Amino acid sequence: MARGLRPLRRIVPARDHFDWPLFLGIAALCVVGAVNLYSATSAAKLALQELYVQQVYWLVVGGIVAGILASVDYRLFEKWAWPSYGVGLVLLVLVFVLGRDIRGSSRWLSLGPLSIQPSETMKIALILALAKHLHNVHAVERRGLRDLAFPALIAAVPAALVIKQPDLGTGLILSLIFASMTLLLAVPGGLILRIVGTIVGCSWAVWELDLLKDYQRARIDAFLNPEQNILGANWHAHHARVAIGNGGVTGWGFMRGTQNQFHFLPDQFTDFPFPVLAEDWGFAGACVLVTIYAFLVLRAIDIAYRARDRFGAALATGVGALFFWHAVFNLGMVTGLLPVVGVTLPLFSYGGSSVVTDLVGVGFLMSVSSHRQS
Amino acid sequence: MRLASPSDVGEFRGRFKWYALAVVVTFAVVIGRLFDLQVIEADRYREEARENIIRRVSLPAARGVVEDANGKVLASNRAAWNVAVVPGRVLPSGRPPHRVGRYEVDTWASIADALRLTPAERDTWAVKLRDACKTDEDHSACWRSVMVREDAPRDVVAELRQHPQEYQGVEVIESSVRTYPFGSLTAHLMGYVGEIDAETLVKHRPEGYGELPLDEQRKLNPLGYEPGDTVGVVGLERAWEAMLRGQRGWIKRIVDARGRYRTEPAYQSLLEEPSRQDPIAGRNLRLSIDVDLQRSTKDAMAKQLAGAVVAMEVRTGRILALYSKPEFDPNEVSGAQGRARLREAFGRLRTDPLNPLLDKTTTGAFPPGSTFKPFAALAGLEEDAFRPEKNEVCNQFVFYGKRRFKCTHMHGVVNLRSAIAQSCNIYFFKLAEAVGIDRFARLGQLFGFGERTGLAINPESPGRMPTRAYYTNLFRGSYKIGFSLNTAIGQGAMTTTPVQLAAAYAALGNGGTLYVPQVVRSVVSSDGELLQEFNPRVRRTIPLKPQNLARILDGLKQVVDSTHGTAHALRDPALPVAGKTGTAQVGYAAHPGDDPKWAWYYSRDDAWFAALYPSQAPELALVVLVEHGASGPAVAAPIAFQILHDYAQFNAKRRGSVH
Repeated sequence: MARGLRPLRRIVPARDHFDWPLFLGIAALCVVGAVNLYSATSAAKLALQELYVQQVYWLVVGGIVAGILASVDYRLFEKWAWPSYGVGLVLLVLVFVLGRDIRGSSRWLSLGPLSIQPSETMKIALILALAKHLHNVHAVERRGLRDLAFPALIAAVPAALVIKQPDLGTGLILSLIFASMTLLLAVPGGLILRIVGTIVGCSWAVWELDLLKDYQRARIDAFLNPEQNILGANWHAHHARVAIGNGGVTGWGFMRGTQNQFHFLPDQFTDFPFPVLAEDWGFAGACVLVTIYAFLVLRAIDIAYRARDRFGAALATGVGALFFWHAVFNLGMVTGLLPVVGVTLPLFSYGGSSVVTDLVGVGFLMSVSSHRQS
Repeated sequence: MRLASPSDVGEFRGRFKWYALAVVVTFAVVIGRLFDLQVIEADRYREEARENIIRRVSLPAARGVVEDANGKVLASNRAAWNVAVVPGRVLPSGRPPHRVGRYEVDTWASIADALRLTPAERDTWAVKLRDACKTDEDHSACWRSVMVREDAPRDVVAELRQHPQEYQGVEVIESSVRTYPFGSLTAHLMGYVGEIDAETLVKHRPEGYGELPLDEQRKLNPLGYEPGDTVGVVGLERAWEAMLRGQRGWIKRIVDARGRYRTEPAYQSLLEEPSRQDPIAGRNLRLSIDVDLQRSTKDAMAKQLAGAVVAMEVRTGRILALYSKPEFDPNEVSGAQGRARLREAFGRLRTDPLNPLLDKTTTGAFPPGSTFKPFAALAGLEEDAFRPEKNEVCNQFVFYGKRRFKCTHMHGVVNLRSAIAQSCNIYFFKLAEAVGIDRFARLGQLFGFGERTGLAINPESPGRMPTRAYYTNLFRGSYKIGFSLNTAIGQGAMTTTPVQLAAAYAALGNGGTLYVPQVVRSVVSSDGELLQEFNPRVRRTIPLKPQNLARILDGLKQVVDSTHGTAHALRDPALPVAGKTGTAQVGYAAHPGDDPKWAWYYSRDDAWFAALYPSQAPELALVVLVEHGASGPAVAAPIAFQILHDYAQFNAKRRGSVH
């Protein structure tokens, strides 16, 4: 037995390098998320009441995967970058061929008893591919806009496929992951301003040239005029905001929030779990959750800062960006700061694909954190 | 460490602190927004969340009870239970399968058993329920309850309530149903109730009603009508709606987004006081109607197809019986037995050629025929236009110009007394020559002919008391003596309603006081306190010379007492009746769509008998009209005598029980 274990030792990190703060932050998030999901679905019909059990299963599965990934030296992942990117693209294309149509968009792929969302797995594949690319680019002084063409292509292909589903939220997240990683590691300072200018120009063009679907346009319209048309596109956002405000400072207590218990919160387990928490636990509980997210993202930046090489830094930055943008868009959406784009709250919203994706990302972070000293 | 190595991070280290700063600022903005929502604006949102779940459910008020003169209930309310089901809960198998929970089972089959539905009903309902659940999104038809059985029997309701598990998804809704214990006996008098119609509702609740201030709302809608309310449609139910209706109350309930009432104690504190206002029951009415007498009128009219009876107290104008035939069943048309039954009943009643929905005591106007003769004679006497002792000769025919006017018999020598008794037309033609139409009209109008009596139960016809001007106008200037002659015998253009005629005879019987006919004696609160009593209302006192009136009353007595009197065959020494028969010709012109097989019936004369009882000092005026009854003496008079016989017996019995 002992002899058999010896080769493994080499890749199991030294115990003193285990990233306890990150682990505890993630564990807290998972527990709070599952408990909140229980509250969110407690008033629902019988079929939904079993959702939190499924979520716990997925957390366990994702946790095991993350544990394995954390113990592997992250440099191993470099080899998987292109294959996983390729598989991710294939799955995205398959969605168009075999996808199930739910509420006007096909996002799901059935694999036997499982349904997976290839747009979720693509996030991880994109982070790996971009990290691999950024690891190998030459020094910064000679870099220009032309050097961004290839990473932009890597990101644009899956983003375009996802937006085509149509899933605007995930497309946006993919683009922002790309932007975060490249801005940090590949772009000279002077370029940044030009790029920002271009993005603003493009958004304007998209709006003016009418490239958005009607419901997407309606959501942005609704966002710009939040108090009008409460029964229409603003229905969800409005009731989410009422639930948050209804929580007050200390909240109604676990499974007591009236907006949720009396079914005024739509999609309370996917896009709107945060209002459930804010209603049950008030401003105090909401602040704790926001602080956990802030801590996790800052921890990811710290891990990137102390990473051994550029691949590790890029990987950590990518995962940090994934958590950051998801959290910001979801919280911004439910508090009325941002338009309603269906973006989940990491490890908080119900969904197997996103839970496993997020935990794989956490596995990467742990690995980069543990293996910073060679 | 080698600079510029591909794996070097050093050159970007400076950027990390900007990243960290951006992250901190972003999350700080989120927390700031949360502070805004949950601390600064918390009260506003909390109030909105509270309003979301609190609904003011209105509580219906019990409609007032109506009793007859002896306290017998003519209209009251009873509890009824309607059974509704929620499609998604009784037939979960009809919903999209992946949304159905493990423990949900179909309960529809056992519910259908409990409701004792026929296989056909069961299948149509099952299809409807499945259709409702094609999608089962919140707010979809799948979660809206559907009424499957109105007014379910008590045992069915008990069974459904006892086993809530077995009958998952059933809702038993309590409601109140108006009932009329005497059914068709008081049909036209009581009228019936029904669901408020859209037109009335819009009148009381115009667009934007909900946004108006409360006192404006009250002004527009003093009785607080709401959609789906029960209101009086005709009869006393409509005329006395404001008294009978009562005032709605309300109760605050906690309701979720799916419209279900929630009773968890934790949330009940959200209902701020007052959380309930009790409804105020409607006021009760006490009528002058004697339902026993009403029943004997109905029995007496049993063999007739159509007609009306009015019994009025001579010295008060109060009505003891008010009956119109054919009747309808107010229980059926009030919707208590379900909408299907109601639709069927109205379809049947509307197409009935005998017009059961028409109240013939006040809404129908008919030629009075010879029942008008006493008034014609009185007009002549008051104007001193003829001498009552003078004899006339009746040869059965008389010519005016080229027109021949005829009498029923050859009466020979007649004076006023025998002419009334034998109803001799020739005598009255002579009288009409002397008196003229306008004098008839002047006195007739004093007795209320051609004018609404003010009974105000159902729409009232004024009848018509023609004048010379009326005929001149109608025939463009050419007036013929025949118009006067016809008026003297209650024919031609003259019409009256049975209530009008009864009030006029009552005035003959009481020395010339014309009363407003009254049906409601008093208003009583729901706890039995007397709120308002209605005294007899005099419409006018007619100036008459007593000796003239005495002559007329003597004539009316002779109708029964004299051997030649038209109602002599019915004379009963124990039942002193004075009265006048009438057999009025009707001008029948077939309407398109009339059944020609019935033409003989519709062209038959209307039969009348107007009576005063007892003949010496009259208490009761009774008018019997048998539409197309062919003969006053042979058809209407026996009915009147039978009713008066019962009336005398009731009186005797009541006097006996008092002593």
